[in-house]
Amino acid sequence: MAELASESKGRLVVNQFKAILISCILILIGQQIGFGISIIKAIPGMLIVLVICMVAIIIKDFTPKLKFPAFAWASMIALLLTMPFVPTSKFMLEYTKSVNFLGTTTPILAFAGIAIGSQVDRLKQLSWKLVVVAFAVFLGTFFGSAIVAEIVLKIQGLI
Amino acid sequence: MSEYELLETKGRFTYHLKLYLTVLVIVIICELIGIIKIPVGPGNVILLPMLFAVVIGLLITPGVLGKVISGLRKIISSDEVELAGPLVMLSLLPLGVKYGTLVGPAVEKIAKAGPAFILQELGNLGTIALALPIALLLGLKREAVGASVSICREPTLGVIGERYGLNSPEGTGTLGTYMTGTVLGTIFFGLLGGLAPITGLHPYALAMSCGIGSASMMTAGSASLAASVPAMKDTILAYAATSNLLTGITGMYSVIFLALPSTNWLYKKLQPILQKEKQVTAETE
Repeated sequence: MAELASESKGRLVVNQFKAILISCILILIGQQIGFGISIIKAIPGMLIVLVICMVAIIIKDFTPKLKFPAFAWASMIALLLTMPFVPTSKFMLEYTKSVNFLGTTTPILAFAGIAIGSQVDRLKQLSWKLVVVAFAVFLGTFFGSAIVAEIVLKIQGLI
Repeated sequence: MSEYELLETKGRFTYHLKLYLTVLVIVIICELIGIIKIPVGPGNVILLPMLFAVVIGLLITPGVLGKVISGLRKIISSDEVELAGPLVMLSLLPLGVKYGTLVGPAVEKIAKAGPAFILQELGNLGTIALALPIALLLGLKREAVGASVSICREPTLGVIGERYGLNSPEGTGTLGTYMTGTVLGTIFFGLLGGLAPITGLHPYALAMSCGIGSASMMTAGSASLAASVPAMKDTILAYAATSNLLTGITGMYSVIFLALPSTNWLYKKLQPILQKEKQVTAETE
């Protein structure tokens, strides 16, 4: 993508803000239904989440050369603010508690399901052999890591 | 269209409105269904709302049910499908924050398990040991290398694309694993995460292995694992998120310096053995 002019960049940030705001509203509605969390009570926590998301996306938009995804920025900021010895920790955890972990995942996967609709035809053209190999890859990476982790955690006496 | 053009609301308002309302309906349906947990030995088949969401989302696209039901194409057309792409990245951010708040309070615990976190990254090379022989037995040639080199997310696409070109046999293999992961990965890891405790491996070890370098697959795997072993929920999610972050950082270098050389080495060793045998049996048949 060509470098955007600063005016367009501002416009992009505004549109990204609208989209994240809508995602937050979808989460609030979803977790009210799925987990009985009151929408009103969850609003302060959700506002904190929204602000961190915006900071993350702005950092990402303005550091295109770093290639560090906004998702990682969002995690890093929240991580730093909730470490036990940081003064913001208690306040942050108290409020973001009302944003349910699973509740945040449902809208993402609904968007993802629709977005991958464009790939279905390409997947159908793919040889079934490559699909079988892909499943072997998934199992290999998963259990490869799990076995190494199991051994090291045992040696360390952590499990 | 670029993200900038897609997200523009001026003149594209109806696309946005239709997409958001559709997702709202999907979210409501999925949350009403809730979590379904079917015990299987020490593990569980866990069906989370997110799993229903990805299946419903996929079903209503023009390429699937939209082909048969013309009314559906009026709501979700290729315009809404295209717009959904950047929306995935943006709607992931609240989850990213949530992961941060899970990892933050656990930093000391995570630092203690540091060696396990670093070494288990090498376990990602397990893809080669398992998938390459299977690919060769299925009769694949150089596609086998591209397909089994790693879980083939974006960094691997970049490396293989640069080295061989995505139109090469290796590139075809990498794209195969990439696309299978994109379309079926969350469903696969969602089921695997819940069932994995059957193996007897410790949930903490399994949690680390969920961090395979894709936020949505890691989330599906670790959330199902956490629902399967609820007593360890917070640590499972924190470990998975940390491991995923590490894979995100190390993934590309691991493909360049470890995975690709060892896949090529193993291909040279195994290809003559496994595929010669296959030719012989084919002749005797």
